[in-house]
Amino acid sequence: MKAIKKFFRFDNIGYIFVLPAFLYMMFFVGYPIFSNLMLSLRDVNMRNIKTGIQPFVGFENYVVLFTRDSVLTDALINTLIFTVASIVFQFIIGFGLALILNKTFTLAKPIRGILMVPWMIPITVTALMFKFIFGTDVGILNYILNALGLISENIDWLTNPFTAKIALIITNIWIGIPFNMILIATGLTTIPKEMYESAAIDGANKLQTFKNITLPLLKPTIESVLILGFIYTFKVYDLVWVMTSGGPVNSTHMLSTYSYKLSFEMFKYSEGASVANVLFVILLFVSLIYLKVVYKEERT
Amino acid sequence: MMNLSNQPNTGGIMKKLFALLMVSVIMGTMFAGCSKNEPTKEQTDSVDNTTTTDGSSETETMTEVTNVTVWYYWEAEGHQKTLNKVIDDFNTLQKGVSVEAKYVPFTDFKKQLSIGASADELPDIVILDNPDHAAYASMGIFADITGEFDVSNYYAGPVNSATIDGKLYGVPFGSNCLALFYNDDMLQAAGVEVPTTWEELEAVAAATTTDNVYGLAFSSLQNEEGTFNFLPWVWSTGASSYEINSEGGIKALKFIKGLVDAGSMPVEAINWTQGDTKNQFISGNLAMMINGTWQVPSMRSDVPDMNWNVAMIPQDKEQASGLGGENFAVIAGGQEEASLEFLKYVTQPEVNLFMMNNMGYISPNMATADGQFGDDSVYQVFVDELEFAKSRGPLPEWPQVSDAISLAFNEVIVDISSPEVAAEKAQKTIDSIIGQ
Repeated sequence: MKAIKKFFRFDNIGYIFVLPAFLYMMFFVGYPIFSNLMLSLRDVNMRNIKTGIQPFVGFENYVVLFTRDSVLTDALINTLIFTVASIVFQFIIGFGLALILNKTFTLAKPIRGILMVPWMIPITVTALMFKFIFGTDVGILNYILNALGLISENIDWLTNPFTAKIALIITNIWIGIPFNMILIATGLTTIPKEMYESAAIDGANKLQTFKNITLPLLKPTIESVLILGFIYTFKVYDLVWVMTSGGPVNSTHMLSTYSYKLSFEMFKYSEGASVANVLFVILLFVSLIYLKVVYKEERT
Repeated sequence: MMNLSNQPNTGGIMKKLFALLMVSVIMGTMFAGCSKNEPTKEQTDSVDNTTTTDGSSETETMTEVTNVTVWYYWEAEGHQKTLNKVIDDFNTLQKGVSVEAKYVPFTDFKKQLSIGASADELPDIVILDNPDHAAYASMGIFADITGEFDVSNYYAGPVNSATIDGKLYGVPFGSNCLALFYNDDMLQAAGVEVPTTWEELEAVAAATTTDNVYGLAFSSLQNEEGTFNFLPWVWSTGASSYEINSEGGIKALKFIKGLVDAGSMPVEAINWTQGDTKNQFISGNLAMMINGTWQVPSMRSDVPDMNWNVAMIPQDKEQASGLGGENFAVIAGGQEEASLEFLKYVTQPEVNLFMMNNMGYISPNMATADGQFGDDSVYQVFVDELEFAKSRGPLPEWPQVSDAISLAFNEVIVDISSPEVAAEKAQKTIDSIIGQ
């Protein structure tokens, strides 16, 4: 009784406020994740999903997926390369735009607004749009490249395994620039002007200012942008599915699209769940890193 | 009640009531998304005859209206109108059963069916693609309707697609098949005749290819549609769907590769549905295409002035085509009796003929099909071709086999693997699926 009373002290009131959200998460997020894990440890496919006779097979699904063919390993590598390449370019370009548009000139605000458009268009629409742009014979990109004399023959953007990956990355960079730009622009506004003024007085040039003032003060913003961007990009699905469906010949599958194909086109529910779990574990790991970084920031 | 802060209790009872109301509203919205998704049970006039899932079918008395839901995937407006007209006629003719149709897009259809099966939320009738029939029947979701329909006069292919272990789990709706469409003007301009063999096809395709026109194309997606269009080439060599790594299978792959390498067939076709291919053809970008019966009605209305015609698919050793078309299936545990009533109405010769003609299908009933098109030479080619049309499967694991096959021929078209390597890989997958 005393322990209960102790629990309900004022200090612990936070737990009670969090309780509804916690229960909600446990039910709607925790249960499906757990259920998915169980699904991946059994052998469930179209045949036995209704009959209920679903044998427990341990980690066999995972082993089979990695050894049967290279699709899963390729998907893993694709997702990693796609994510890293997208983030690097999105970040650099977004950062650059944020710096340029941080100066107060007349058109800064409208231009910033227009630059937000790629982020606001639904991804399915963007994917369809770029599918046309990258079309071999009907695409405007090939038309422009031809007109500029840069290529003599149309590039098979989406029907060649290598260029298809590049096309996806280019599209994703276009989509993600606004996100990076706006977050960094916001971060830039938190740097007090006096810092720059005193640096100017001390005789620092642009590069020195950037290196010693802007970057260090933006560190928390940069960390958030990079890690959140990584997590968001890693689970890309609609862009890839609409543009290439993981093709040609399974060369542009990401973990998410491969999981979808296994579950809903081949009806191998357990294998799809296993791929989803691989995705989950990787992102869980990255999220924990993020939490640690943020926690460390808030402490200082 | 605990005083949670150091401040005096301001606001009093009204504030507390308001807070309580807000909390309830928020809790309510949290659970709003919880409601079970019931896409098929939208009827509110049914008395007590909703679909049961415990395996027993209701016996309805004629004073109550039984509601029957039908799922289909035809996206063509003409098809939908035809189906709805038939349903309206049936509903007017009698008052015991009320049928309603729901359109589920083709790409979602299998997914919805699988989800519905595992969640016990299925309609009463489905109109589904014949190669998928065996897979779902083996899941146990279709009712055994052996003996309810006289299928003795039906084409063997469609009936087989709905049969497992000698029992009938559905009834064919209508069939179609693939044939060679060609642009007569383009062939004449190139001075070539309609090809009948593979060698002739290669020559004609090359002759009719220009800067803006490809000689030949067919849907080569890496899915069932692609497999459907590729298998006739394999079958023409005498090989079966399960013998990709055979002389015939490799020959078919080499043949396709030859067309792509010669520039007669676009690699882009791996992104084209049959609808896309038809659009390319009627836009004048293709001299020839492989496509199906169901394209004819819309082609006639879209490009009435274009000089096109059809011919049997050029063959290697034997004549072969792909059997398309859908079957009706009754969901086990649904409104089986009412569903059967509707199906018996729909399979009557006159009603069936009406649907077949409006949708560009061939009646599954051989007697009806024979005189169906009068002297329409275009449809007659399809009727002739139907005799040689083979079905895919029937096999419960067909989707996986199909995936291996379409992957193989995609790999060859994109030039990732040689025909031999691709064939061997596909065979390995197929063998592991059919357990040899």
